[in-house]
Amino acid sequence: MLFKDQLQFVWQHMKKNKMRVTTTVLAAMIGCAFLIVLASIGFGIQETMRNEILNQEKITEIELWGDESLTAEDEKWINDVEHVNVVLKKWDVAASVLSTFEDRTGYSQGAIFDMEAQSKLPSNLSEGRLPTASNEIIVGYHYAQNLLNEADQAEIERKSREAEANGTWYDGEEEGYKGEIIGKTVTLEFEDGEGDQEVQSGEFTVVGVLKKPSYEWYIDSSVIFGQGVQTLLPSLETYPTTTIFVDSLENVIPVLDILKEQGYQVYSVVEQLEEMDLFFLIFKIGLVFIGTIAVLIASIGIFNTMTMAVTERTREIGVLKAIGASPALIQRLFLMESAFIGLLGTGLAIILSYAISFGANAILPHVLAYALSEEDLTGYELTFSVIPFSLVLIAGGISLLVAILSGWRPARKATKIEVIQALRQEL
Amino acid sequence: MITVQSLHHAFMIGKKGKEKKVEVLKGINFEVQQGEIVSIVGKSGSGKSTLLQVIAGFLKPNSGSVYIKDTETAVFTEKQSAAFRLNHFGFIFQNFQLLPGQNVVENIELPLKLKGISSAIRQKKVQDMLKRVGLTEVADHYPNELSGGQQQRVSIARAMITDPPIVLADEPTGSLDMQTEQEILQLMQQLNRESNVTFIIITHDEEVASIADRILRMTDGLLMEEM
Repeated sequence: MLFKDQLQFVWQHMKKNKMRVTTTVLAAMIGCAFLIVLASIGFGIQETMRNEILNQEKITEIELWGDESLTAEDEKWINDVEHVNVVLKKWDVAASVLSTFEDRTGYSQGAIFDMEAQSKLPSNLSEGRLPTASNEIIVGYHYAQNLLNEADQAEIERKSREAEANGTWYDGEEEGYKGEIIGKTVTLEFEDGEGDQEVQSGEFTVVGVLKKPSYEWYIDSSVIFGQGVQTLLPSLETYPTTTIFVDSLENVIPVLDILKEQGYQVYSVVEQLEEMDLFFLIFKIGLVFIGTIAVLIASIGIFNTMTMAVTERTREIGVLKAIGASPALIQRLFLMESAFIGLLGTGLAIILSYAISFGANAILPHVLAYALSEEDLTGYELTFSVIPFSLVLIAGGISLLVAILSGWRPARKATKIEVIQALRQEL
Repeated sequence: MITVQSLHHAFMIGKKGKEKKVEVLKGINFEVQQGEIVSIVGKSGSGKSTLLQVIAGFLKPNSGSVYIKDTETAVFTEKQSAAFRLNHFGFIFQNFQLLPGQNVVENIELPLKLKGISSAIRQKKVQDMLKRVGLTEVADHYPNELSGGQQQRVSIARAMITDPPIVLADEPTGSLDMQTEQEILQLMQQLNRESNVTFIIITHDEEVASIADRILRMTDGLLMEEM
């Protein structure tokens, strides 16, 4: 029998039992859609968390820790490792930095950058340039906002109290120095907190402002010096750190492995990402497993429908066998019918799942915002449900396989029907 | 064409453990030549239908052999038997055995579909056949819209559509009135003359049997030729 004729034969029978076939298709659709939507939540949460990590803009960076500053030999060796672009040496200043400008003051974290290495990296400045002289500095995006006079401090205190009464908080963005900070000279004092060391200070000119941090909530008021400051203030206490920049995300782990082999203490957020991916893989397998139970319940419907179909068509199967249809053909016709039901159910389920996923992503952030009485959650890039093509393939495969398997026994039963018995049946 | 040798068959009847063996075929021997019309006549329960079922391959005999065109068919598997039926036999049943959900054309072309013949060739063959059996007018009707005689014509057309060398007919006029019976018998004779097809007709009706070239009488599981 030609494949086209087999399809037509199966289709004719399905049309004849529209109601029964439709309800079975609906059951298969609901089962498969449940599976897809459930698993899509796993994919959605994973994507939200991945984005959170990837948004840190540190994904191609490897942090190197150690008590001592890198030797020139170490630096050269690391620089020669394949895929390493830049080795950026930094020193965190132990003391906190007190800035004084006109009648304003503000505390900051201080750091010294190897500006030669920094200049090879994509610019991290929102305006200005990198320091070239030893008395030049770049400052964090919120540095000027952090320079407060007494009036500002009183105002912030008042607004914070008001905000607290309303259950929120105030970040002080309306106060601070509002003029152009670049080109201004500020006095910096280094305080070690214990007071037993001589306070060092100096005058520095702001030549650049860093970019706005990617997190809305992060206030960056840091002060960054060039290496020249170490000759200017030789007794400044610092802790060295080194950041290694790799050319692309996929090379981070190989470079990390090479460095670990050499005994360097290194860390990258990508490691965190890998651990997270493993956790989510297991989580998603669990969700697919639960979803498959729904598909199995739907398969009982397919089994019943096909068993009914075989019973109803016993005489017809007898006629077909009498005039020469092989048992294999009879079996194939019934398997095709259950596969067809599975295919229709799966196809509709995919459309339905995308609609549910799209709707959930559109509506749930608002519902959540309302429930948590937060005004706006859009800044958090929340994704509740993601349906990647791989999920469609896995769920579709499971659903189709289950549909065909549930049609298997009825189809076998059809091949076992005896011609003589079948032809004796009344219409 | 057909050679049947010392065919024996028995059924087990009754509850398990208390079964009774009922011998239906007690050593049947006969031959049929190509192009012959042979009637097998007998009373109800004489075993004539069982004989037809064995020849058709619906039933495996306990012993004995059936040769069709020098091929032993009693040893076939179910799959071989089905393929052999498709290529060598046409069937006419007492209650027509048409598929109710398919119209006249679809019922007639069913064996051609099973053989994997393309739609274009099928259409031509079915149109020719509709003319031969006089059903052109009702080509798109469904079985329940046809008279008994018309339904049996559809059944005959379906049996003949693949040009089989042998047609097995089990009480072909059993459900028809006298006049229709005559028409059907004439049609079978006409097809036999035109296509040189071998007909084996199982019947209890002497009138039906009389159109045959030879009449074999089945009595108590044994077959005897009438002179």
